Amino acid sequence: MKSLIVIAVALGLGVVTTAPARADLKVATSLTDLASVAQYVGGKHVTAQSLCRGYEDPHFVPAKPSLMKAIQNADVYISTGLELDGGWLPLVLPGSRNPKIQPGAKGFVDASQGVDVLEKPSGTVSRAEGDIHPLGNPHYYLDPKALEVVASHLADVFSGLDPANAADYAANAKQFNERMETSLEKWEKQLEPYKGASIVPYHRNFTYFADRFGLKLFSTVEPKPGIPPSPHYIADLAESMKKSGVTVVTYQPYYNADASNQVAQKAGGVAVEVPSEVGGVKGADDVFSKFDVMVSSIAGALATKAGGTK
Amino acid sequence: MRLRMLACLLAVLVLVPGIAMAQANNSLYSNLANPAIGMNALFTGQAVPTLNQPYGLGFDEAEISLLSVVDPYWTFSSNIVFLADHTVDPEEIWARSVNIPAVQLKLGKLRGTFGKHGLLHTHAFPFIQAPIVMANTIGEEGFKDPGVEAAWLTPLPWYVELTAGAYQAIGVSADNPLDFGSTRHDNIPLLGHLKSLIDVNDATTFELGASALQGRGSDGNVHAAYGGDVTFRNVPARNSNRHGWILQGEYLQKGARSGGSYDREQDGGYASFQYRLSQVWWMGVRGEQARQSVTDFMVDQAGAAVAGTVHRASANIAWTPSEFSFIRLEYSHAKADAGVHPTDDRILLQLSYTIGYHPAHAY
Repeated sequence: MKSLIVIAVALGLGVVTTAPARADLKVATSLTDLASVAQYVGGKHVTAQSLCRGYEDPHFVPAKPSLMKAIQNADVYISTGLELDGGWLPLVLPGSRNPKIQPGAKGFVDASQGVDVLEKPSGTVSRAEGDIHPLGNPHYYLDPKALEVVASHLADVFSGLDPANAADYAANAKQFNERMETSLEKWEKQLEPYKGASIVPYHRNFTYFADRFGLKLFSTVEPKPGIPPSPHYIADLAESMKKSGVTVVTYQPYYNADASNQVAQKAGGVAVEVPSEVGGVKGADDVFSKFDVMVSSIAGALATKAGGTK
Repeated sequence: MRLRMLACLLAVLVLVPGIAMAQANNSLYSNLANPAIGMNALFTGQAVPTLNQPYGLGFDEAEISLLSVVDPYWTFSSNIVFLADHTVDPEEIWARSVNIPAVQLKLGKLRGTFGKHGLLHTHAFPFIQAPIVMANTIGEEGFKDPGVEAAWLTPLPWYVELTAGAYQAIGVSADNPLDFGSTRHDNIPLLGHLKSLIDVNDATTFELGASALQGRGSDGNVHAAYGGDVTFRNVPARNSNRHGWILQGEYLQKGARSGGSYDREQDGGYASFQYRLSQVWWMGVRGEQARQSVTDFMVDQAGAAVAGTVHRASANIAWTPSEFSFIRLEYSHAKADAGVHPTDDRILLQLSYTIGYHPAHAY
């Protein structure tokens, strides 16, 4: 009996000593990039997890009840905003039955607030143009500068919810932004030789990246947002790429690699898998390494004979 | 007379600028808080030799949905359906609150949380035809009735939801085969539902559900429906809008309790498999059985409905060029042990179009 008690106490102590320190804020996000920024800004006071995985299309996350369960006790929910998560978040958030993170509550954050939004439609919005985003292009997390805005915003939010650690949040956000500025200089140098070069992404999600690094978007592999390419469209696109000397096609792990490869092959170019979200490919473990992978992949493709034409 | 004219002139001088200002200044009548509006229209063509009706394309229904936040405490959702027979059905009009931790409260005209198929809107049916057992137990489109439901997300480590509901007593109708028509003051139909879901792996989920619904009928007896469902669903993360499959089975029964004994009246079920071939193509197969049940081709010489056991197999293929439209073709073969038509073969073609805001369908 005594030995049983000793084992029980030892096990109990083991649990106590091996349990991680309890974070002050449980944060959930729509995107891995937002979780990465939130973790950096929150530091030891925050545990951040993303509902969408880095290799999953953020437009089409299945609204699984297990996602609702995952955020049942979250203190903060960080939405991408601009309706990128509009196809699934309206089911998942109320399904969590967590009043703290519903829109309008202090724990709900629209991460796009304060970001300079590109490609805001002017005039009438029509789905004749495909599954467009009526509030503007939501892929702002492909611009390192936009993530600096997000980091500062999150520091304010976390400070409001957890004033005791406000100084840490502010310091972390400052450090994040400084590191991002330094990294940005490095990435700009890497892509400097290719300024003005054109690329063809699968989806219109590279607008912010191209804008930041001086690249041009020649077209997209999908004819319109959300509409898969037909063989005829692929042939036409490849032909026009050939005529214009455009040879680099980019796609994400969740897009149709076959269609991207067909376009590149017909155009005499290369198709490269590039992560647009943290966790999209091996090595893209946080927002900094994601941009490292993106920049080196694109620079590498543009440097090849096939991809070097401006 | 002059005085009256002067008064009229003064009134015009005072009112006209006010009206003009109101028209010019949109902020007086802001539309910023207008609800999200969407509409879906369904058209079905069918060729059914056993039915005494011409082949061709018909209008099924147009569903208008309005959705908005009411205030910090409630959100409002409505689906109003315009039917082919020129009637309007306020199918669902309810308010929801998630202000109580772990609980979702819904009240209004609800689609009762019973089973799996009974929760679907017509345009979200996986097959053009609802399983025959539906119309014979809880209603082709599920149990729709004014009431209140509370759904508790339990603190268990995986998703387990318990729902309790109380509804208005209603009698049998074309939409509602359940007799809850007793006028006794204590006749409040009650519902209980359990839903449990776990992630089997990165892509596949396993869901189990159980439902019960009962109330007092116009004959004074307790009438009830029971159901159980099981679903495996696969959505590969790297191909979430190109591949995946759903394997589902559901059993439902309806009965009545009198003198201490329970009599099963109708029952049946289905098993279906849907497979996503690509971003734009889906296919599905389904087998089903319904006992002591009626369906459109089970009639006697005079054309009156007769009950029996019916088996049906269906297969369909759908082309969904975008999230907002689809065209699907379905073939079904049915065998019945009652009526003048021992078998039924039919081909159906359905077209669905959605405009405006349409909330995502439940997983």
